Amino acid sequence: MTDNKKSVSATLAAATCSLLGSAPTAPVQAQEEPNWDFNTALLYYGEDNDRVQDLSLNILGKRYFIDDRSLTLGLTVDTLTGATPTGAIRQGVPQTFTRPSGSSAYTIPANELPLDDTFKDTRAAVSVGWEQPLGRLWKTSVGFSGSFEYDYTHVGLNGSLSRDFNQRNTTLSGGLAIAHDTWDPVGGTPVPFAPMLDVGDTGNKTGGETKDVIDAVIGVTQVISRQLIVQLNYSFSNSTGYLTDPYKFLSLVDGTTGETITRVPAPGVEGPSHEFRFESRPDDRTKHSLYTQAKYYMGGKVLDASYRYMTDDWEIDSHTLDLRLRWPIGEKSFLEPHLRFYTQSEADFYTISLVDGAELPAFASADYRLGDFDAITAGLKYGWTTRGGNEMSVRAELYRQTGSIPGDLLIGNQVGRETYPDLDAIILQFSYRFSR
Amino acid sequence: MGVEPWERDILARDEMQLTTDPVEAAIDDHIYFSKEASSGGRGFGGGGCGCN
Repeated sequence: MTDNKKSVSATLAAATCSLLGSAPTAPVQAQEEPNWDFNTALLYYGEDNDRVQDLSLNILGKRYFIDDRSLTLGLTVDTLTGATPTGAIRQGVPQTFTRPSGSSAYTIPANELPLDDTFKDTRAAVSVGWEQPLGRLWKTSVGFSGSFEYDYTHVGLNGSLSRDFNQRNTTLSGGLAIAHDTWDPVGGTPVPFAPMLDVGDTGNKTGGETKDVIDAVIGVTQVISRQLIVQLNYSFSNSTGYLTDPYKFLSLVDGTTGETITRVPAPGVEGPSHEFRFESRPDDRTKHSLYTQAKYYMGGKVLDASYRYMTDDWEIDSHTLDLRLRWPIGEKSFLEPHLRFYTQSEADFYTISLVDGAELPAFASADYRLGDFDAITAGLKYGWTTRGGNEMSVRAELYRQTGSIPGDLLIGNQVGRETYPDLDAIILQFSYRFSR
Repeated sequence: MGVEPWERDILARDEMQLTTDPVEAAIDDHIYFSKEASSGGRGFGGGGCGCN
């Protein structure tokens, strides 16, 4: 009976933590003595064409105490470099842009997609969580998260509550998280729709900005049979404040030819060769998501399937299907192929350029991440147990985005020249899990 | 629907937990949050970065 009780506890602990996005590591096992369980990972994420590269170290430590209580500590350090699309469109001639810092300029060759190669940052993220039962059927958790970059700071609090029913075959859970984020962009925050100015002219910039985010999740986890467990979550998220990307802008174009309007920098000063306007997004966004996941045991193999539907008041709808199959090889290793399919529609204020002389829209962004695109991830993981009983795994994945620009957004010469900035990225990861 | 307490041997296995690797799940959430307009679902919505 002791083993069965542990198993019940383990399943429910994991189900609860999964709902809350926290850290269900090993089945709860620490009735005997406190111990630490560490999950670590080294990640390389690299995009093609010298776009974003990320090297990331991740450590998650969980200490178990008696009575199923646990403390979780997380640390992530990211080192990011590379270039990223600015939102400006291609031109048949070279284009010069003022860097976000306002202290220099860079030039993009004719017919090439404008990328800003200034991007360089180090990010440190920390998390602390505490989890414990409340009586026999309830469980609660509280947590803190913080993330710190040169130009961005995030702090957040979260809490959750769950209760088991039906001989612990059913778990109802609810969670709430609040966050306060601060932007302090290099060179200042651009005024919405302000023009890009010459090097040294900061008349288009203001100080830092903030945003607040509230997330709520409710869900049910249900054991269907000895081999099948399913989960259904509804998530609500509301963000208010500065939701614009301070480094993105749009080309100001002729309404007939679609060519970007040229400009001449002041004498003796570097500056933009064309007219560009910084983007502007609404200061409020509400998202709703439905997420369902099933895990099915098939004679040693485990199928993990999930689907998410998201819709928001920026008119973005998305569908995500994620499939993993864990295939054991002998007693101590496994292979796990992974496929993920994603599709989203564009935001209602997504566009690729602004028309010179026309009335400005309320909001506009040419950020490709708000566009209409599909993505697929295909990968393979190999995991094994060491002689010492620790777990290691390596995984390699390819992430590919392919998008399209709606025809009604293209003007004049943009037809046939402007294409969605497709993306190929590789994900390489080494993971090591051990206990102390 | 459901099982008796003594029938949870398979459900209690590591690989049958809804999130088997929390670090990998967090990494994936962060990557996709940075590159797509959607986030969250499994839990809270990731984020906490000024991602490019």
